[in-house]
Amino acid sequence: MHGWAGKILDIDLTNHAIRTLPLDAEKARLFLGGRGLGARLLWDLVGPQVDPLSESNVLIFAAGPLTASGAQTSNRFTVSTKSPLTGTVLDANSGGWWGMQFKRTGYDVLIVRGKASQPTQIQITPDGVKIEDASLLWGKTVSETTAALGQDNNRRNVLCIGPAGENLSRISAIMNDGTRSLARGGPGAVMGNKNLKAITVVGSDKNAPEDRDLFRFMLYETGKLIKASPLTSQALPEFGTAAVMNVVNTIGALPTRNFQASQFENAERVSGEQLTDDLLVRNQACWACPIACTRVTRTEKAEGEGPEYESTWAFGPQCGIDRLDVIAEANYLCNDLGLDTISAGSTIGCAMEMAERGLIDSPLRFGRADLLHDTLRDIAYRRGLGDELAEGSYRFAAAHGAPELSMSAKRLELPAYDPRGMQGQGLLYATSNRGGCHMRGNMLGPEVLALPRLIDRFATQGKAGIVAIHQHSAAAIDSLLLCKFTNLAVAEEYFARLLTAVTGQSYKADDLMRIGERVWNLERLYNLREGFTRADDTLPPRLLNEPSPAGPSAGFTVRLEPMLEEYYEFRGWDTNGVPTPAKLKMLELDSLVAVKEDTP
Amino acid sequence: MIDPRLFEEFRDIGRDIYVAGLTSSHGGNMSVRAGSRVIIKRRGAQLGRLKIEDFIETKLNAKDSGITRASTELIVHRTVYQKTSALAIIHCHPRTAIALSLTRDEIIPIDVEGSYLLHKVPVVAAEFASGSQEMADIVADTLREYKILMLRGHGVFSTGQTLEEAFHWISCLEEASDIILETHLLGEERKEFRKHSESYSKW
Ligand code: SF4
Repeated sequence: MHGWAGKILDIDLTNHAIRTLPLDAEKARLFLGGRGLGARLLWDLVGPQVDPLSESNVLIFAAGPLTASGAQTSNRFTVSTKSPLTGTVLDANSGGWWGMQFKRTGYDVLIVRGKASQPTQIQITPDGVKIEDASLLWGKTVSETTAALGQDNNRRNVLCIGPAGENLSRISAIMNDGTRSLARGGPGAVMGNKNLKAITVVGSDKNAPEDRDLFRFMLYETGKLIKASPLTSQALPEFGTAAVMNVVNTIGALPTRNFQASQFENAERVSGEQLTDDLLVRNQACWACPIACTRVTRTEKAEGEGPEYESTWAFGPQCGIDRLDVIAEANYLCNDLGLDTISAGSTIGCAMEMAERGLIDSPLRFGRADLLHDTLRDIAYRRGLGDELAEGSYRFAAAHGAPELSMSAKRLELPAYDPRGMQGQGLLYATSNRGGCHMRGNMLGPEVLALPRLIDRFATQGKAGIVAIHQHSAAAIDSLLLCKFTNLAVAEEYFARLLTAVTGQSYKADDLMRIGERVWNLERLYNLREGFTRADDTLPPRLLNEPSPAGPSAGFTVRLEPMLEEYYEFRGWDTNGVPTPAKLKMLELDSLVAVKEDTP
Repeated sequence: MIDPRLFEEFRDIGRDIYVAGLTSSHGGNMSVRAGSRVIIKRRGAQLGRLKIEDFIETKLNAKDSGITRASTELIVHRTVYQKTSALAIIHCHPRTAIALSLTRDEIIPIDVEGSYLLHKVPVVAAEFASGSQEMADIVADTLREYKILMLRGHGVFSTGQTLEEAFHWISCLEEASDIILETHLLGEERKEFRKHSESYSKW
């Protein structure tokens, strides 16, 4: 294969039907793979009448044209579904090895429909596709399941859910290769609802570049940039993503105690530097990655992977906890239980504030590190208060009459940047199609790290365009598929040429940006069809109305409205945030709004 | 109304371009895109001496009275914004790069920084090299693939997410062009040190 295998594996768990369908070349041209292709297939398969936790929802696992090509970080894959947490279109992506191995099975996409009558697993190997009983695996943790199914990084790779997914937690993850996660938006619960415990892949095909000379040249040029950037060659390998902890805290953008403050007094203690000094055993890389940002760490009680920045924040500053060992162990636990660390930590932080305000009867308090691990177990097994927290912070807070204390956008818990100190990040959160998220075009680059250039983080004029461009770039990278950390050093013009080399079809940098814009607009159409409106493009009232209390961002709220207006204008959307017919025509999406249900 | 912080960026970069000898006293122009509007230097304002009243705002997709005072190259700026992801555009007249554009179809830097940042800068030609839709289309189509280009015998168009980024490419191109020229003037054999340099023409 050169980019695309040209095949979709379609499995219906209800009747154990296994089909191979051709990949529509036009869809591949318009949406590439991964997130884009997943959204396009989801558009056809899951309409507004479908409850995300019903058997009519589907899971779409998709590789991209660059997956398994050997390009730097070409290890990723996505899962697309309707989110049980947000009700929006959802995709989550993950690194490791599974994506590469799946692509080598000779499929671009795996669609899982229906619902098995009992615990089930899927095996895709050169011997064929099998649907098998998984009763003995049900109830097992992620590490137990992964080991039982024979995980072997470069040869045989396991994807599964843990107890949180089995128990239909709306903040549960799908895990692959033991410790990598497709976490945000609760895809684990969709898999759990299907009684699908695991998918094991063994592949033998190759994704070989069509233009080998160009590919070799591009590998060399891309590698040069990754080596030259201090971020990708030093900061990420040495300190992991938590390298930004002190930076974000210094500028007053580190959300603390459920976003009540924008600086954490003990940020140093939970920084990347401290993690390296105290707990780091070694760094580790996903397949074909020269960056190696992954941490392998050890505490007195346990050893495991992580934590990365967002998880450290979620269990640290968000919960007022400064014990790195407790935070690392919380991360190991989430990996093993199959929980989204950001949503889990943020939801616990929300509960801590509610308990402090007397809105719930619970011993949870900011700083209560001793309660953290048990609370996570309770969420995964839906015990006591954990049963309510398993629904995510918004449903939990709303059930107790205080939805405003959920720090979420479209019900997805916000990550580790206080947008009062990064106005563009506020617009990004508010407009993100899967809910408040930093992986849809993080403004950390331009607003803090000077990538590609430093812009005024408090300014609002002109911000909309930069946010939109970054959203397009992220959507394109998620459809290629590569790890976004390469984008800290490597620009889209390189990715376009890599894609040209692998597929033999000519792509310009702006073709990729156009694809990203198309994906973004399709996701928007999906959410509009689900009933989302302009009113949902918003942030928690705290961030709009309560100025950051102290530090370099003191006095700032997010000035969302002027940015949102400029954003809709920039996008060619009307004042209600609906893409205009002219925009849809330009993006070749115009036929879609009339499309009824069909099959891929 | 132009945001004072944005004006400062226009003013400082305009000054830098003039002082660096990258344009004549009244040559060149700059713009940024904000939402569905373009903020562009007015016709005749000197790049090295910009004042806040030297900027006009005009719509991206429709004509309005703003065009009466806009730079002659407004049509190019608009077309580039319509067809590409650019958020800022600078046009000016770097003399060595212009000289090279008169003798070749692409400028391939031979120094480290130029190779690293630009790889190759295409040279395009249009019969009416100023302010025509034909030229605007050629420029915009080329900028879908390259962040900077030379218009033969006329000047440079450079794009970025910010003015600073667009300026960076121009500054780098002119330095690379000077190095090409000076190396040529030395008349000595050039020693190649870059791996895969033969592939730069394919960029
Ligand atoms: S940068 Fe980190 S997350 Fe990305 S591919 Fe490499 S090791 Fe994996």
